[in-house]
Amino acid sequence: MSEVLLSLNGVSIRRGSSLVFKDLNVELKTGQLVLLNDRNGTGKSTMLEAAAGLLPLEKGEIFHHGELILDASGRSKRPSTAFGLTLQSDGCVGSQRVEEHILNAVDLAGGRIDIDAWLERYNLAHRRHDLIAHLSGGQRRKVAMLAGILPGFVGDKPRILLLDEPAAGLDETSRTLLVEDLLELKQRGNALLLASHQTDFSNCATHVFNGLEFMQNDANVEMSGTQRDIKATTHRTKPSFRTGVLLNQRTLSTLASNGIAGFLTLGILLALVDASAIDSSVIQASGLFLSAAFAAGLVGDTMVPMLHEHGALDWWKAHRQGIPHSYIHALVLGSTLTALTQLGFDEQVSWPLVAIGGLLTATTMAIVRTIDLATSRLARPRAAFTRILTPVLILPFALLVQWVTDSNLL
Amino acid sequence: MTKRLAETILLLGFIGIATTLGLALLKAPSVSINAFESPEAQRIFYWHVPAAWAAFIAFGFLFVGSALWFFKRSNLGWRMHVAGAEAGLATGLMTVWSGMVWGSAEWGVPWDWTDVRLNTFGLLTFLAMFLVLGRQSQPDGVETRDTFSTFGLFGFVLVPVTYVATRLWQIRHPGPVIGGGDSGSLNGEMALILLLGAISFTVFIAGHMLMSMRITSLEQRLESIQEAMDKV
Repeated sequence: MSEVLLSLNGVSIRRGSSLVFKDLNVELKTGQLVLLNDRNGTGKSTMLEAAAGLLPLEKGEIFHHGELILDASGRSKRPSTAFGLTLQSDGCVGSQRVEEHILNAVDLAGGRIDIDAWLERYNLAHRRHDLIAHLSGGQRRKVAMLAGILPGFVGDKPRILLLDEPAAGLDETSRTLLVEDLLELKQRGNALLLASHQTDFSNCATHVFNGLEFMQNDANVEMSGTQRDIKATTHRTKPSFRTGVLLNQRTLSTLASNGIAGFLTLGILLALVDASAIDSSVIQASGLFLSAAFAAGLVGDTMVPMLHEHGALDWWKAHRQGIPHSYIHALVLGSTLTALTQLGFDEQVSWPLVAIGGLLTATTMAIVRTIDLATSRLARPRAAFTRILTPVLILPFALLVQWVTDSNLL
Repeated sequence: MTKRLAETILLLGFIGIATTLGLALLKAPSVSINAFESPEAQRIFYWHVPAAWAAFIAFGFLFVGSALWFFKRSNLGWRMHVAGAEAGLATGLMTVWSGMVWGSAEWGVPWDWTDVRLNTFGLLTFLAMFLVLGRQSQPDGVETRDTFSTFGLFGFVLVPVTYVATRLWQIRHPGPVIGGGDSGSLNGEMALILLLGAISFTVFIAGHMLMSMRITSLEQRLESIQEAMDKV
């Protein structure tokens, strides 16, 4: 008997002001490929995003491999078996290289497979080291599609693959190759939920969704495909951490945004404050020495706006294995700024204060990042005026300065 | 009369506030010149304290509305959230502004970053500003309502902190004028004007919130009509 890999139990989902699904009950079993090909606005993307655990539920529960991953009360759990995901908005950052995004998808699935053959197959091998921002729309779609299907080839355990318009913008040859790959994924026992208006998939889908339930697809033709022998090796690096470090190194975004704010603050302090009038035993000295590090942290994590590009934030959130961050860079930047500020006003450097400066930047950044992420569900998250809430950090900063002064760290 | 209820209440509130101000400036007894650096500036508290009182009512309304939307999906709850945020912003700004004027006259500085009550109250006002401006920047929908209701619920933690702040960590801000023991007692005339101020500000924000809820209700009706027309 086929194992149920994905089940939506009594799910009701609201988007905007309308109820998209009400008491929806569907089950996706191993070896099934369900095609969502209804007209626009009927909730195809909503179902895929809900199945990925990205949308809050009004009612009901979502299970992956029999494990609850999300329910209406907000309980959420990382699925023990990772799934493949292609979002309608691609879900990849322009500053990433082609191979990096695909390897992230494979690593999140818990193993490393050789991606060369896949890049060759979809005519992306010569673009392997290019930034995704440099690709055409169709090529970017191929990268997003590969990130969605390749987890299905990692290991022997069948997986859920959620593919939203994976063939949009793809040429005919690529679509034919994709149909072959979907057939093999089906044969391997994966369960696929595929939203598409392309007629290419009509024959390979085992079921179609009629708005209420999964119905047997009469047009399905059982085609036998070859099953490749794909070796997977284990890989231990955390993709979200690796991506955060790589993106920061490539774009210097933390230095360019947080660093500029910190260095400007330092420059203004050096221009306006008389160094000879600073007495290191008073509260003003501690506040002065930590101001640049604090200002740098208030800018927030530049990873968040970067991940808003092409819905990458949703892609990372869905996998529940961490979201790329800039904490390490914040720690180094805050420590450097605190050391430089001390040297600007004093001849001595207090190393405990340097460490506190680093932690201050990282902590401040983490709080601002949390506020930014809390508003990421909004239709226009960048227009939400989240910086109005940053004064919440001034009182803790004042208390920290008081503590530093009382502790005679200077 | 029912249609004009909000406007009538708002007008009564305005009249009450104007009367309070007049009495505060012309009738209220002067305080001892030894008790304050700037005794005349003390009259601002007939505005400041009732405005703060009204702000707490508005923030309470905001919290109840946020909870009703978040847990019950109540449209009335969302209207209460919107009204509470707008009234909280208006009265919060009145409180912060008048406090800064008094602080400048009495302390020599308009703000003290280490004073807990000043800062927590300032944050409540910033939160209300975030909720009002943020909501206006977003299309109405469950995502917008969920996000801002969450902030409304978390922000309410600041209300009891602000209320007890001068009892627990009195640094610069004066202690409570009512219920604060002997040190905070008022004479009869002062208390009467303050009471009139508190009632007037309460009436004012009641009218403000009723009007705001009616506007939000009309916006919701307009949107549902537009959606129905989209489907034609």
